Amino acid sequence: MSGSKPDILWSPHHPDRYVICDSELGLYRIGPAGGGGGRSGGETKAGTLPLSEDTAATLLAINSDTPYMKCVAWYPKHEPECLLAVGQANGRVVLTGLGQSHGSSRCKELTGKEFIPKHARQCNTLAWNPHDSRWLAAGLDKHRADFSVLIWDVSRQLSPESTSSAAEKSRVPAAVAADADTAGSAVTKPLYELGQNDACLSLCWLPQDQKLLLAGMHRNLAIFDLRNTSQKTFVNTKAIQGVTVDPHFHDRVASFFEGQVAIWDLRKFEKPVLTLTEQPKPLTKVAWCPTRTGLLATLTRDSNVIRLYDMQHTPTPIGDETEPTIIERSVRPCDSQLGSFAWHPSAQNRMVVVSAANRVMTDFTVFERISLAWSSTASLTWACGRHLYDCTEDGADGGGGGVGVENAIEKDIATKMRQRAQSRYGHDTAQVWRNHLLAGGDDPQLKSLCITYETVYRGPRAEAAGEQTRPSLLWDQGHRQGTTESRRCWSGSERTASAVRYHSEERGLALRLCGWTSRTGVGQEVDAEPFLRSLEQEREWQRAAAVALFNLDIRRAIQLLHNGATTDKGDLNLSVVAMALSGYTDERNSLWREMCSSLRSQLRNPYLLVMFAFLTSEPGAYDGVLYESSVAVRDRVAFACMFLNDTQLPRYMEKLTNELKEAGNLEGMVLTGLTRDGVDLMESYVDRTGDVQTASFCMLKGSPGDVVKDPRVQCWIENYRHLLDAWRFWHKRAEFDIHRGKLDPSSKPLAQVFVSCNFCGKSISYSCSSVPHQGRGFSQYGVSGSPTKSKVTSCPGCRKPLPRCALCLMNMGTPVSSCPGKEAYRLGTGAPLGCGPVWITARIRGC
Amino acid sequence: MDLHILDHRLRVTSISKNGLVHFTHPLIKLIFLRNRTGCKFFSLTETPENYTVVLDEEGFKELQPSEHLQVEGSIWLPLNVVANGNVSSSSQAVGVTKIAKSVIAPLAEQHVSVFMLSTYQTDFILVREKDLAVVVSTLEEEFHIFREVAGESVPLCRQDAHNGLHKNGKEAILPTVHPVLIPQNHFCVMSLDPDTLPSIATTLIDVLFYSNSPKEDAASTPGQELDCVKFFSFSLIDGYISLVMDTEAQRQFPADLLFTSSSGELWRMVRIGGQPLGFDECGIVAQISQPLADSDISAYYISTFSFDHALVSSGAPCWLLRRREFSSDPRHDFASFSVAGDYGRRHVGSGRRTTCSDAQVPEEDIARVTEMLHHQRKDAAAS
Repeated sequence: MSGSKPDILWSPHHPDRYVICDSELGLYRIGPAGGGGGRSGGETKAGTLPLSEDTAATLLAINSDTPYMKCVAWYPKHEPECLLAVGQANGRVVLTGLGQSHGSSRCKELTGKEFIPKHARQCNTLAWNPHDSRWLAAGLDKHRADFSVLIWDVSRQLSPESTSSAAEKSRVPAAVAADADTAGSAVTKPLYELGQNDACLSLCWLPQDQKLLLAGMHRNLAIFDLRNTSQKTFVNTKAIQGVTVDPHFHDRVASFFEGQVAIWDLRKFEKPVLTLTEQPKPLTKVAWCPTRTGLLATLTRDSNVIRLYDMQHTPTPIGDETEPTIIERSVRPCDSQLGSFAWHPSAQNRMVVVSAANRVMTDFTVFERISLAWSSTASLTWACGRHLYDCTEDGADGGGGGVGVENAIEKDIATKMRQRAQSRYGHDTAQVWRNHLLAGGDDPQLKSLCITYETVYRGPRAEAAGEQTRPSLLWDQGHRQGTTESRRCWSGSERTASAVRYHSEERGLALRLCGWTSRTGVGQEVDAEPFLRSLEQEREWQRAAAVALFNLDIRRAIQLLHNGATTDKGDLNLSVVAMALSGYTDERNSLWREMCSSLRSQLRNPYLLVMFAFLTSEPGAYDGVLYESSVAVRDRVAFACMFLNDTQLPRYMEKLTNELKEAGNLEGMVLTGLTRDGVDLMESYVDRTGDVQTASFCMLKGSPGDVVKDPRVQCWIENYRHLLDAWRFWHKRAEFDIHRGKLDPSSKPLAQVFVSCNFCGKSISYSCSSVPHQGRGFSQYGVSGSPTKSKVTSCPGCRKPLPRCALCLMNMGTPVSSCPGKEAYRLGTGAPLGCGPVWITARIRGC
Repeated sequence: MDLHILDHRLRVTSISKNGLVHFTHPLIKLIFLRNRTGCKFFSLTETPENYTVVLDEEGFKELQPSEHLQVEGSIWLPLNVVANGNVSSSSQAVGVTKIAKSVIAPLAEQHVSVFMLSTYQTDFILVREKDLAVVVSTLEEEFHIFREVAGESVPLCRQDAHNGLHKNGKEAILPTVHPVLIPQNHFCVMSLDPDTLPSIATTLIDVLFYSNSPKEDAASTPGQELDCVKFFSFSLIDGYISLVMDTEAQRQFPADLLFTSSSGELWRMVRIGGQPLGFDECGIVAQISQPLADSDISAYYISTFSFDHALVSSGAPCWLLRRREFSSDPRHDFASFSVAGDYGRRHVGSGRRTTCSDAQVPEEDIARVTEMLHHQRKDAAAS
């Protein structure tokens, strides 16, 4: 009794019925706990067994007619509903009913039927044919003279052989001639006999065809084709137990041996497509989940956990040889050791588990693994079971073109990058400063960066590499001499300003880089007027006023503020500020100065604030201006260049540079340039924002040898390309690659398309472009002269004649890149090849 | 056809009747507590002479050396022939008969001594490990040869086998023609679900270890003893149980536990050898199996330490021997004969005669048979 291991079978048609078989068969009905019959009072009904918090089982029927039960299989048809085939220890297969059979003739006809093998031995497994429910396959232990796979036809009428064998039995001893009463319904002639003198340990019909049977034989897995029983496909393996076909993927089969599960693909049957990690204890059951693809549950002996393997086919970039991803986890349905389990045929991920002892059952639903995925377009999706939850960021696309400032602040960098990529951000190489407008025009750091580039590339040293031109470099030793001091009058007043201004060529250059002047005057005068005008145009009144003030033109500053106040939608406060400014006095102890120092802190606008800080500070001590972080770095640097002496200036510059590098502030690029420092700065910027797009575009302009080869830079570039791929922005990526190729020639892809000679197989275009052909061939045809007339009529490798173009009769392979006036098709640059051969021929030829 | 060289290294031993008492403990352990011993191949055959125990090295460790334990010196490897399904044999004959032509005869020709062990499930051909190279080279044309290593079947490369190949280049000894004895009792070949082994444990112990007791009680005549040769074989190989017993012993077992063929066929035994055969002589199995194969008679064949035993379907022995018809004198009911054929020369022994004591043999012949057997034993004792 206790020795037999319990097993569970769900009814194929009633989702609420299952059978437990150990020493006897018990039919149970599963239902909600607390009784569904209307008389529930919170108590479980008498005779019900609680399976879980919500469900309970009722025992409907018990069948203990069949002793020495080894395996059971449920009749797959609707009618009769509770017909089971029981395989016994002596190899006999008995059809038995359970519960109230409704007296259908078919049921009566089948129940009690017995199928007896020629030689008694254990029946290991049974399988009903899913296509033809009359066929029942039985797998038996081996016998030296008999077959181990017998396929019985349950509908077969009693044959004369069976009666004769029954008669024969009568003269054999009692042990063999067992039950004379059942002899009448015994069938001894199987429909098919397969697998001679071998043992069959597991069986399963293949869903592809009615006549294909997969059997785990003693040393191999064999596929028997009943259409031609003499042939079988087989593979030698140890993993022959518990063969089971994936219900979702009919070519996938699992089998096991001791602690190891092998997964087979019947299309490639030579070896398992994968083997799962070996368990320390032998397995007892392996079953595919019928409600979820690729989920395999396994149970080992003396264990209280069910191990689940989630096999999902994910596209792998490496190739076919990679194994599918398997996620392994364990579930523990109950505390006791498990005897067996069975997936519910239709309820999602549900199973009933029976304990190894005492037949304790548990209804259990495997909680679905939650998988989470970010899409490349900033939405988040997670899946649990059959539910898919999609979480799209609100308003990500609802901002009307995405220029709303508040909206943009909240925006994810991925959305921004996507939009920027669409607006061709980074590709405006003619007017670099416009790129920040392409980027949305709402990021002051990007704006600063773009303008820095603009000034650098338009500057006098534009021909020199960008990194040379950066203010901080100007204060290296050797650049210090030539600084002159001057005390200038406030323009428009006779009073001498207290501030000392410094001039040198380098300082002038720095001011240019900061955009304060447009050309470096050789003299000491800094012409800030164009800059002020541009600021006026951009309505940056306060900044303009501050710049004017720093240029010691207080009148211009007041005028600018006034303009700001009077233009439409102007801020009236600006006139108030202008009034305050006009009261400036350089007397140390004046009331104005005193009040300004105390009240300026209440000013919101940083430029207004620094204006008063400048006016009220002592000469040479401009910390109020220099460390006002809201003021653009360029303005602060320019200010420093004007008002800090040669000792203060480098110190300030260094400090500021480090600060900006730390913060990843792109405005700092004006100080670092495209150097390693710049890469450091960009690194912290990328760390902070994730904006690999800006980083890529920015760093591509650096020197190829030093900056672009930096692994970090390469990483950003590659990531950006992947991102574009993920968005399917193929054209954008191509544009980017072209852009990159222009700036970094080493990144150009190698030639991918060649014209090769028919005879020798060598590339024609390659050899004629790279190797100057020696002597005769070219000069003979006048190739040596003008490149436009270059002609090749024979292969440079083997000198066989080349085919001619159908249109112009020129020989193929004639270099065309030099043809003037024609955008020649260049081989190998990845240009589209979607055109017909004639076109290609023509283009290759250049006609 | 596939030939599998199984992953067992076997010893062939014999326990004398008197010494059994010293070995009951290890034997019971080997039979009933197989998880404790790690023995995967165990066969115990009781014959009137002794108990033959064939077991793998794991199991051999259990047997303490003793004066009652005789051990054949070599390591034996079991071979198993598997029809790989492509050959659907039309012939009903199974067992040694089936492999007689393909395995037994070629091996006999190469002078490879074989030790046969048929079970309910299959037939094992045991060969000495040192003969393996010869076996492989002899059989590789006919068979796909696999060597089982840790449960996996590995196809055997020719090179592997040919290394160290030395022909058993013994000069062709004309095989001795051995007398045969056909006892009266009928045998069944049966199997058992290993899970139900505990439920027949007491009976099995009784039959194995106390078989002599009741016989001593019953005043058995020597004639009965000779008519019915005590023969009981139990094997537990790779988890499969096989039992060979006479109908007498079978009655002691619960009827519903033992498996046998649905036809319930019974077998008669042909014991080969008048005196202990030893292990070096070749061609004995061939002598018997060849004629059986010729006439398509299925047979079991169990070698023991002293003699070989062929089991043929009841009714067959007489027919077989009649067909051989060696000097079958119509006046005499018993035929003095030898099993001959291609491997034996015709031999008409005056003393070493064996009779065909089939059911059809008249009762009065039994005395003669007894007499003959007495004579035979005397000869054996003398030699």
